[in-house]
Order: sequence, then structure tokens, then C-alpha cells
Amino acid sequence: MDKPFNFQVDVRDLQILALSLFLTIGLTQGFDFTIHPNQILTAIVVTLITQYLANRFLKRQETAALISRSALITALGLSLLLRSTSLIVIAIAACCAILSKFLIRYRGKHLFNPANFGIIAVLCFTEQAWISPGQWGDSFSLALLFVGIGGVILSWLGRWETTIVFLIVYALGIAFRNLWLGFEVDILWHELTSGSLLVFAFFMLSDPRSIPDHPLARVIWSSAIALLTLILKYQFFLATAPFWALFFLSILTPWLDSVWQGKQFNWKTTTYSWGENNHETAKL
Amino acid sequence: MKQLNFKSILIAITVIATFIFNTPAASAFCGFYVSQADGSLYNQASQVIIARDGNRTVLTMANDYQGEPKDFALVVPVPVVLKQEQVQVQTPEIIKRIDNFSAPRLVEYFDDNPCQTQRRTLNDSAPRPEGAQQAPKAPPSDDALGVTVEEQFDVGEYSIVILSATESQGLETWLQNNNYNIPDGASELLQPYILQNLKFFVAKVNLEDYNPEEFTNLRPLQMAYESRRFMLPIRLGTLNAQGNQDLLVYILSPKGQAELTNYRTVKIPSDVDIPVYIKEEEIFPEFYQSMFKNSWEEQNGKAAFLEYAWDMGSCDPCSARPLNPEELKQAGVFWDDSSVFITRLHLRYNRDLYPEDLRFQETPNRKFFQGRYIIRHPYRGEADCPEAKDYYQKVYNRQQRNAKNLADLTGWDLEEIKQAMDFVEIENKQSSPWWQRIFD
Repeated sequence: MDKPFNFQVDVRDLQILALSLFLTIGLTQGFDFTIHPNQILTAIVVTLITQYLANRFLKRQETAALISRSALITALGLSLLLRSTSLIVIAIAACCAILSKFLIRYRGKHLFNPANFGIIAVLCFTEQAWISPGQWGDSFSLALLFVGIGGVILSWLGRWETTIVFLIVYALGIAFRNLWLGFEVDILWHELTSGSLLVFAFFMLSDPRSIPDHPLARVIWSSAIALLTLILKYQFFLATAPFWALFFLSILTPWLDSVWQGKQFNWKTTTYSWGENNHETAKL
Repeated sequence: MKQLNFKSILIAITVIATFIFNTPAASAFCGFYVSQADGSLYNQASQVIIARDGNRTVLTMANDYQGEPKDFALVVPVPVVLKQEQVQVQTPEIIKRIDNFSAPRLVEYFDDNPCQTQRRTLNDSAPRPEGAQQAPKAPPSDDALGVTVEEQFDVGEYSIVILSATESQGLETWLQNNNYNIPDGASELLQPYILQNLKFFVAKVNLEDYNPEEFTNLRPLQMAYESRRFMLPIRLGTLNAQGNQDLLVYILSPKGQAELTNYRTVKIPSDVDIPVYIKEEEIFPEFYQSMFKNSWEEQNGKAAFLEYAWDMGSCDPCSARPLNPEELKQAGVFWDDSSVFITRLHLRYNRDLYPEDLRFQETPNRKFFQGRYIIRHPYRGEADCPEAKDYYQKVYNRQQRNAKNLADLTGWDLEEIKQAMDFVEIENKQSSPWWQRIFD
């Protein structure tokens, strides 16, 4: 008991665990994801290699980690959302996702959520990719799982308002539409428990490295995304509306950051000591 | 008071995409199709063909209406005003053809003589196509207020009006005043469509022109329109339905497989070996229904089942001859490109499970899938070589597994299944351990 046992926790480890859990559920619990383990492997390998090479040659780092947490998160996010029958398309998406972090930047931040960028890139430029918005269905227990785990991670990150505001504005939008159309309440419920919507809201929308820095800016930004999602979904009948809304409105982030300046987000790792009460948090 | 004899209604707007196709993955199985579980199995089943490419859609609604022609009414929300040239009646055969072509199938194989080293697989087949289903009909309403008759024409045995309305009570009243047989409460369901600026395709039977001798059933209605909406209205159909309704949607696209975007789409269990007696006692349809019910319950009713996804130029094994160009045209295929990918979705729905209309999307996914169930006949000839013993042991084990498969898929009782089966004779047959009766 002389030496306290220390272990470090990075919130991204939790994210990786959570996304892996969802992927496992999707693959094994009869959800019939049209995804093959090869595709997941491709996404992981390509994101890791791209990240490594970009660190070495674009960022000119002398030494770069082989396993990058954020690249893994991007790979898992792509695997959860993107569907294709071609490994090449998956590889292109993974590569574009990571490169967008290095090439499309402003003030030291990347402009787009990497997985979102990768998905939009292959949706636009290949004929062989799609998203299955219905893949999770509207199960209440799954919704609870997504909200529970997502909530823990977001409160740890301190970026929960982005997701909450998005969901509130989106829910209000649907509620008003339902009221106007005379739909029953269960339609609202059906829409809000959509697994795909919740995964998007908790695990893609709130990427702390690309969203606006100031809380007020984030509230405005995510409200705008929710509104654009509603418009694309109900006026343009676009089933993949949230991804397009996030993509287009990410372009506003630099402007929002210039109007409301906030503290830029940095990943932290928390060291816990076994048997001691204190823990310390370090910036990465 | 009107009788509510009419069934429900369906409608749809859709999208299709065409696509060219790499022809038959012809190498595959040598099993032949022997039986199928087609749409005629289900009581309250509707069948709809949606051919869609881009925003262009041809929607064919089968009609299985069984009541008096004078009581028939069909109300379908449509995205645009349809003119007479955009509507026609289609031969009921086409629905039957598509149904038979895409129905889940039973295939069989025969084991070779284990004493002959060369192993080959033989197959037998006995196709047995069957019938089609229909789309439900529509509700009437009563006030003339705010209702505009956009178009009015006769097509085949139907009199059709295309209405736009500003207010649902008015629409309901208009329909009732004009002798459309519509259930009470329809206005509540009509209102959302009015507000979304949809029009109403309203049909009844033109009694003057209808000759019951000529058609035993009302023919399917087919309409062509252009709209971004790729959806199928099912809400009106739930209004006066008792219990669950089955819906078979055949989506024809040049691009690839279609799926639902607001509900889950899952594959029906497939490629499973089941006992031979399923064929010999001709209970494949019963098997399929039990299995479907079982799978549906496992998903809590909240998933559409993919039963078939294939390029229409081929099939393997074929449960029916592929459709020729003329038949494809009848099914609504309007694109030049000869490639047509068919997706067959089977839903069992009711108001509570499916509160929203169905929304679809087509995907570039061209992977083939079919509901396919396999039986393997053991070699029944003389075989007394040393290998035979080993062979029969294997067959016996296989039969045990197949019995278990069948029980798992259908929920039927394992012991009863085993009693129905004709197990091969083996030496030292170990009866199953005593504890399996309760531990299995």
C-alpha cells in the first residue's frame, strides 16, 4: 500500500468504449447493419495510418503516436453511420475525414467534424455510399442507453448544451408541426426515440474540437442546425438531414467564434489514484 | 348510414432509381425451387408496386376488395393532381407475377449414395406459384365545403376524381354526400394530408361500366407522377382495420435496394436447413407463416422484413420465370435501361406500431438476398459399404439439427417436430439424454 495505484482516464477512452459497444449491439442484436467487420477494420486502419502520416508530414511532428484516440473515434463513428458495399469507399471516407482535420482549419481548430466530413464527401462524390437512418429503429431501451452514456460523456466534456439545445429545438419543431397537422403524441415520441438521431446528437454533433467556443455561440449554432434539419427533412424530404445540416452550418463556426470569443477546448486526462481521494487533471 | 365495407387505402409516393446490372451470379446453388410462400397466405394483405427513378414514380395498387362493388371506395393521398393520362388499370396478373417471382422459397437437394465416392448434388423441383393481394380502399367524407374537384374521369371499371381540399371536415362531408363509403373519423386522418398540400385520389366503381362477369376482382390501379416524396401512406388504412394488416411492397429501382428511413428494415431469417417433411406434407406455407410471426414478435413488430432483393434479370433458384420486358412495363418500369432491382418488403402493421406513414429511400446496395429454406433428402437406396455407417450417423445428426432449426424459427414444439420426421436408421442410436427434455 506504499505506492498508490494510478490510472489515467481520458474521456475519449469512454467515447471509444461507448461507440464500440453500440457497434457491437448493432452487429449482434438483430439490427441487421449492412456492415461487414472488414469495413470496420478498413475504417480503423485507414484513419490511423492517415492520422499518423498527417502528423508526421503535414504537422511535421518528429514522433507521432501510432494509435490516435481521435482517429479511432472517427473510424468507429464512420462504421456506425456510413454504409457502402465497397471497401474503397469506406477507405476514401476515412481518409477524407482525417485529412479534413489537418487541411481545413482556422485559428488552430478544424472546421468540420471529421466523420461528418468523410460521410458527406463520399455521399457527394461516389455513387456507392448511403446512410440508413432507420437502422436503430425507435426502441425506448436503446434511446435510454444512448442518452445515458452520451449524457455522461457530454457532462464530462462540459459541452452538453450543444446536444440538449439541438434536441429541444428539434423536438419543439416536431411538436409544433404535429400540433399543426393534428398528429398524435406518439408520432413525436417515435421521432425523438430514433436511435440514429440520438447517436448523431450525442456522438457527432458535440465534437468539442470543431464546435463554437463560446456557450452562447454553441446554443445559437445548434439551434440553427436543428432548424435546418427540420427544413431539410420536411420540406426537402431528405432522410439524412442532420448530417447535411451539421456540414453546412459548420462553415459558420469561425464567424460565431469571432463574435463570441470563448475558451478553446483541449482534451484532458484525469489521473485517479487508488486509495487516495484526490485526482489531478492535466491538459494534453 | 353507410356500411364500412371498404378496406383500407394505400397510397404512395415514391422514388425509384434504375440501374444496370451485372447479370446473374449464376454459379450459385443447384437447388431448385419447390415451393413458395406468396402473398395469398395473408388475410388482410395489401400489395403495392412502386417503380421509381429519380422523382418519377409509377405506383400500382392491387385490389383485393371482396365486397359489393357499389360499396367500394378508395382514397389515396397523392402529391400532385393527376390527369386522366396518368392513371390506368393494370392486369392483376402482374401483381401475381411479381409476388411469385420474389416469394420466399423452399429448395431441395438429394444426397448421393454414400458408397459412391463421387459426390454430386441433385435437385428436384416443383414450382407452385400463387396468388396476389390487394390494396385496401379509402374512406368517404361529407362536406362539400372547401373541396375542389381538380380532375374527374373514368378509367376501366373505376370512376376517379382528384380532389384538393382546404379542410378535412369539408372533404369528409363531400365524400359522404357523393356516396363514397368512408368510415367515420376519417377527417382526422385526412387533415394532415390537406395541410401538407397533398391531393386526394378518390375512386369508386363505375357501376354502369362494371361487368362482374368480366372481372372476378377489381383490377389494380396504376398511377404515374413526379414528386420528391418517396412515401407510402398507411395511416388511412389503419382507420377501420381490425388487428394487424400485412403489406407487401415491391420497389423497383434502377439503382439498388430500397429501405425504410423511419422504421427498421431487417432481413427475414434465410438459408436455413429444415426437415424434409415440410415439403412432403406440403406445409411450407404454414412453416413460413409461423416463422414470419415468430420473427415479427422477436422484433416486437417494429421492423419491416426484407424478403427479397435481387436484380430482376435473374434469379437463383427461380421461383418463377423472370419478368419479360412487357411485364416489367406493366409493373411500371419506365426507364430504358434494362436493369431493374427489386426489393420486396413485408410489413405487419397496426396503428400503434406504425404511427407514421412509411418513408423510403433507395440505396446503391446491390447485394442479393432471398428468403430461402433448404431441405436435404438423405440417400434412401441400398448402401452397405463401410462408409455408409458414417454417412447415416451424419445424416442423423443433421436431422437433429434441422429439427432444432425448425423449432427455433417457428416456435413449434421440438418433440412434435421430431415425431413428424422420418429419421434415418442408425446403429447404436442413442436416444437423447433424459435431461434434454427439460433442459433443451
